[in-house]
Formats: sequence, C-alpha cells, structure tokens
Amino acid sequence: MNTLTTINELGFAPALQQEMLEDTTSDHALLEATRTGDQDAFAELVSRYRNQITSYIYRMTNDYDGAVDLAQETFVRVYRAADRYQRSYAFSTYIYRIATNLAISELRKRKRRKLVSLTGFFQQNDGAEAKEFNPPDARPLQDTELVDTERRSAVQRAISTLPEKYRAPLILRDVDGRSYDEIARILETSEGTVKSRISRARGFLREKMRAYL
Amino acid sequence: MRKTNCEVIRQELDELALGETISAAAAEHLRECVECREFNEKQTRLRQIVGGLGTVSAPPDFDFRLRARLANDANGAAFHFWPLARRSLAFVAVLLVFVIGAIVVRNVFKRPVQNNQLATDQHSTAPEPRAVPTVEQKEQPNPAPQIVVTSSDKPSQSIKGERPPRIKRPLVAEDFSNTRAEVINGREPSGAFEVLPLDSSLQSFKLSLDDGRGNARTIFVPTISFGSQRILQTANQYASKRDW
Repeated sequence: MNTLTTINELGFAPALQQEMLEDTTSDHALLEATRTGDQDAFAELVSRYRNQITSYIYRMTNDYDGAVDLAQETFVRVYRAADRYQRSYAFSTYIYRIATNLAISELRKRKRRKLVSLTGFFQQNDGAEAKEFNPPDARPLQDTELVDTERRSAVQRAISTLPEKYRAPLILRDVDGRSYDEIARILETSEGTVKSRISRARGFLREKMRAYL
Repeated sequence: MRKTNCEVIRQELDELALGETISAAAAEHLRECVECREFNEKQTRLRQIVGGLGTVSAPPDFDFRLRARLANDANGAAFHFWPLARRSLAFVAVLLVFVIGAIVVRNVFKRPVQNNQLATDQHSTAPEPRAVPTVEQKEQPNPAPQIVVTSSDKPSQSIKGERPPRIKRPLVAEDFSNTRAEVINGREPSGAFEVLPLDSSLQSFKLSLDDGRGNARTIFVPTISFGSQRILQTANQYASKRDW
C-alpha cells in the first residue's frame, strides 16, 4: 500500500505504474515465466539479484572482474536450469547456492594454480590473489574518510585470508545479513555447523583486526 | 563454573543479530564480568566494521554482457558438453600414457632378466659336446671350437624390477657353423652335401627394379640356411652402394 502511494505521488504514467507494480511479482513466478520463454521476466530476475550476487562473490574472491564473470555465470546457469528448478526452497537460496559453489570452485582453482605456478616465484604479486594478511600501520590517520577506506580494505583482506568454509557463512551472515537457517540451506549443512563456523570466523577476524578494534 | 557461564553468555552474544536485545541473564553477566563485556564490545565493533562493507554494484553493462553470453551459448549449444568431453579425452590420454609407460618399464626390466635366465640355464645345463652320429663329423679333423664368453650379466635370481648386481661368470658357447644338422628322417647321407637336397627354388634370388627415373636398383635375397646347408656369402657385401 505504501508502494502504491509512493508511485502515485511520483506522478508516473499508468503504464509505468503497472510496470513498477510488477516488481512485486515473486521470484518463483518470474522463473516460471522465464521457463516459458519470457525474456523480460528473466531480465527482471537479473536486475533484482545482480548486485547482491556480484557483491557476494566479490567478498568471497576479492577480485571484482572475476566476481562479475562468476555472477554472469550464475545467471547463465539459472537460465539454463530453469526447467529443472524446484520450488521447494526460496529462489534466493537457490541462486546463492550456485554462486557459492562457483566462488568456492574459483578459490580452489586459484589455490591449484598457485601451487603449480613456477613463474609466480619471479613475478610481483599484483594484489588480485588472496595473500597473507599484512598487519596495518598502527599510526593514526587524520582524515576520517581515509581511515574508513583503510579499515574496509583491511577487513576485505582479512576476510580473503579466511578458509573458504568460514568465509562463506561469515559473509552471508555479517555482510549480507542472512538468517542462520537460510545460510544452512545455502551451504547445505546444519544450522549448528553454520553457527560454529561463524563463531570461529569471527575469532580469526578478531585476531587479524586487533589494530582496528 | 564462572568460565562455563562466560562461554554460554559469549555464545549467546555471538548468535544474536546486531542490535538485537540481549537476555536479562546475559545483561546481568555483562555488568559483572569485565572480560565478557570487553568481548562483547570488540565483537560488536567487528561486526559493525564487517557489516559496513556494504554491497558492491554490478557494472552498468552487466545485462548487456549477460545477454551476449546467453546468445553465444544458444548458438553454441552443441558445444555444451565439450568441456566434459575434453576432460574425458584428457583422462583417457593420461591413462594411455600410463599404460604405455608401464609396458615399456616392464619390458625394460624384464628383458635382462630373461636373457640372464637363458644364460644361466645354458650354463647350468652344461653344454656337453654334442654327438652327431654322422660320417661327416667323424671325418672332420677339427671339432667345433668352444668359445668362452665372459658375461657381465648376473643370473636372474633378483626380484622383478631390481637391477641385478654385476657378477662376471664365464659362459660356454659352441660354434655349430661348420657342423651339419642332424638328419631327421633317419636316412644316412651319401655325400657331403646331400643331407638336404635343395631344389632350384632355394637358390639365391635376384631382382632388378627400375624406379621410373632411370635408377636401377637390385635386390639380392640370399638362400636361407637352416644349419646343414653351406652358408652363402651375403650378396649385399659385393653389391654397389646403389644396390640394396
């Protein structure tokens, strides 16, 4: 109701109002429409989740370009598997599960590449890869914005050093704000395991971020 | 007891969402326990920092690139299984390499063992002078000379795959090139070369070929000897370089 009032207040044309109201269509209905060949329904799904998925994969991999590629791959998989989609759980759970699997595969690939790469010995690290956390300079900075930027960067680096099994639940809980139940369904594990992993992940982060706490 | 209580309270604090009200018992405990209060403050601060990371936006051309990707996928639908096929092919290739490698290694290790086995057998069965009941041998003034060969190989009593230690042991070989083979059909030969009468088809064979460019090539095929026949000189020894 509030939405309707807002749209009316904005004074959009009736056709546009109708279009905006369709935003409330459930993800399930959009995917059903995609299954029947409705490209606009799929575009709507993409616009709903592209930022969330890109952001989530970026937090997991600490590589923006790679995250965009993987986010696209996530949507490609959703599109291809639209016929096989089951409504037994939420679409967000489904798409986050695909994104998590892709991100973890990417992290494992990187680890393998890092293991076999001989040229890495002779090259400077470009910062794209997750590297050992470097404690920050403890001297205070004057500019608050700089402090925030530095802190965010430090948190991101600290998260990227976490083992992948701790990284995913921590991001889903503390960055995306998802419930334990949903995280458990995304990661296909028990709620107890999720809680214990998040607790351990926070413990690791507390140690690494000591200078900022 | 107090430590256990702290653990329970910390676990409760850990599971709460940011901003969620803590229980009365936990609040009471936090008032009393300095360590837990400090833990709670640090934990809240950390969660605020992590939560402050926010959402990263997708690039503006995200939809466009996705559409292009989907269109490409639709065009190349036949190649959807290519990654799987490629992986299978790679697996088969690796398997083949391993099998071939295993066969080669097996042969390399097996060959000297077999040769050594033969040498040992030959040595152990003690090649006594062979009695050939023919007239020709009786007429020969010099019996077949015995040649003593020194072998550097060792008898094959080693475990498979293990290279045997080198032991010098003399091997006895007998030269049968001047002796005649045994007569199998029991008929006594009447002359020196009547043991196995050869017909004309067993004579040496000569063939001339022209390769069409004016180059003539000649092939000599010598008669094959089975022992009692006199060994002919190899025709190739006297052939010119152009003949083979």
